[in-house]
Amino acid sequence: MDRRSFLHHTLAATAAGIATSAFAASPLKVAVLIPQSGPAGLFGPSSKACAEMAAATLNARGGLLGRPIELLFGDAGLAPAESAQTALKLWKGQRAEAFIGMHDSAVRGALVGLFKGQVPYVYTPVYEGGECARGTYVTGETPQQQLERVIPWLATERKPTKWYLIGNDYVWGRNTNAAAKGYIEKTGAKVVGDEYLPFTVDNFDASLARIRDSGADAVLVSLVGGSSVTFNKGFASFGLADKALRLGTLIEENTLAGIGLGNARNLYASSGYFANLDTPTAKAFAADYAKRLGANAPTLNGLAESTYEGFLMLEALAKKAGSLDVAKMDAVAQGSTYSGPRGTVTLQNRHAEQDIHVADVTDKGFRVLKTFAKVGAGQSCKV
Amino acid sequence: MDSGTVLHALNLAYELATLALTTLGLAIVFGLLGVMNMAHGEFVMMGAYAAVTVQQWGLPLITAVPLAVVVCGGLGYAVERWLIRPLYARPFDTLLATWALAMLLRKLVEAIFGRGYRNVESALTQPTLVLGSPYPVYRLALIVFTLAVMAGLFFWYRQSAAGLRVRAMTANPILAQALGIPTRRLASQAFVIGVVLAGLSGVLLAPLIRIEPGIGVDYLLDAFFVLVVGGLGTLGGLFGGVGIIGGAQAITSSIAGQTSGYAVVLMISIVFLWLKPDGLFSRR
Repeated sequence: MDRRSFLHHTLAATAAGIATSAFAASPLKVAVLIPQSGPAGLFGPSSKACAEMAAATLNARGGLLGRPIELLFGDAGLAPAESAQTALKLWKGQRAEAFIGMHDSAVRGALVGLFKGQVPYVYTPVYEGGECARGTYVTGETPQQQLERVIPWLATERKPTKWYLIGNDYVWGRNTNAAAKGYIEKTGAKVVGDEYLPFTVDNFDASLARIRDSGADAVLVSLVGGSSVTFNKGFASFGLADKALRLGTLIEENTLAGIGLGNARNLYASSGYFANLDTPTAKAFAADYAKRLGANAPTLNGLAESTYEGFLMLEALAKKAGSLDVAKMDAVAQGSTYSGPRGTVTLQNRHAEQDIHVADVTDKGFRVLKTFAKVGAGQSCKV
Repeated sequence: MDSGTVLHALNLAYELATLALTTLGLAIVFGLLGVMNMAHGEFVMMGAYAAVTVQQWGLPLITAVPLAVVVCGGLGYAVERWLIRPLYARPFDTLLATWALAMLLRKLVEAIFGRGYRNVESALTQPTLVLGSPYPVYRLALIVFTLAVMAGLFFWYRQSAAGLRVRAMTANPILAQALGIPTRRLASQAFVIGVVLAGLSGVLLAPLIRIEPGIGVDYLLDAFFVLVVGGLGTLGGLFGGVGIIGGAQAITSSIAGQTSGYAVVLMISIVFLWLKPDGLFSRR
């Protein structure tokens, strides 16, 4: 091949390449911050898979604002300052144009301080409420959302009169139980005790003895992950499972696997998502997840699935605003809506109004007993 | 006794029994070989995963015992032969080497079983009535079993010829070797026995505890505190350490909450490191 025909061919090929890609030339980088290390690291693989599924779904229908999504992943399982460093590198170094975050609130605080509303940031996990920063859109469930309708429902179903509240000693555990107190008192029941334990506690005997002595017939479990597993196993082994019902707002499929189905009698979980939700969209999503990850798939759960919802929310906002400019997105945020595995989700006060399900546990895992449609997050961010 | 007192007494006994069980392996390895095995907790963790494995295979829980003995014993032998033996008398290096081993084992288990929580079911974890207070049968069995193991070990160490050789080796290894005691083989056996005991304690605890690849460090820390207080290398020290650490934690927790219980353990350990660095029962 002589030089002229080489040039000719190369140019022709390049031109053809540009012409055939329907997408605009530059891919749109979306950074996904999920815990890949630390105690929450067990949610890393399932969250990553859900983010990849979201990118594939969005790209299949034309990408975001006509540009193909390219994913960047960052570890948010580290301390807040380190996670913020990771985010900064993805933002300024690798030019991420939007962020999806599924991580704890301490990291969220650091990221909100870093972004200062200059880049859209969708925060997706269950959390304690109160985030009103510009450019931050929250799709996760708040305590109000998970309890306001569920506690009165449990009151009519099971008629508990004495509630005991237990939680890990940090903002989510305390805010959840504080919100619950009001709802419990409205049902006419009493709160007979509450206590907050550090994450290091691995023996709940003393708490279980106090619960037994309090005569409680209902317990709100606002413990997280490993604490919840150990507590609930002990609860059952002391014979308390038949004496008192348990309600948790962060007992997802992994935690249940650790507790064991046999130890979960009279255990209720309240969530915006269960892996076995019986709706066509949710079923298709779970089937896709199973197909993508094969037989050894990490357990599908609401926290991981929330990253998928985060992408759908980002898409809805970007479409409505016609841009990823935070000012424009903020202007159209109120009432932005999409339909996904959780059903129809609508942004109200930069939080997600969504369906909330209550499940108990059978020998096949969670069984959804009741669904409350379109429950608000109970937040009053000024829009 | 009213049922509340019974419950607290049983909880105390259970806390002491689990602590003794998980510390025993570390105490043997440290006491006899002077090796601080930072991977001790990982052997406990592997024992728990042996129980997970046999449950997955649909075998009865008791079959986890031979599995844990084979896995932990085999691994322990290899580790002693190729990792610890070249590093005897270099305590800081063994510390680093076994810490690295701990990380490796953690990642290995993560790769095989995933990072999610596991549960081992046992019908025996359900409660029975003890003097009017419902208490899990499994825990009662564990308390009795631990007492038996400890008593057996104590008499073996005091009475048997093998126990005598071990005591000779720890008292003066060079003299023991000169007397024809095969110290190298004894050391290897001591290490294997130590990690197998750790693995067995993991099997025994599996139905009661949270199981995930990172649990090892909890057991290492508690065992470490016991050895700090009790002193290194004597059974009396082990019992003393277990009594003080476990007792202080259980009693303070039930009176003033778990945070205070944990704080008391830390304070006791600091006081001992400061005023009595050789512990209650020092062999030096």
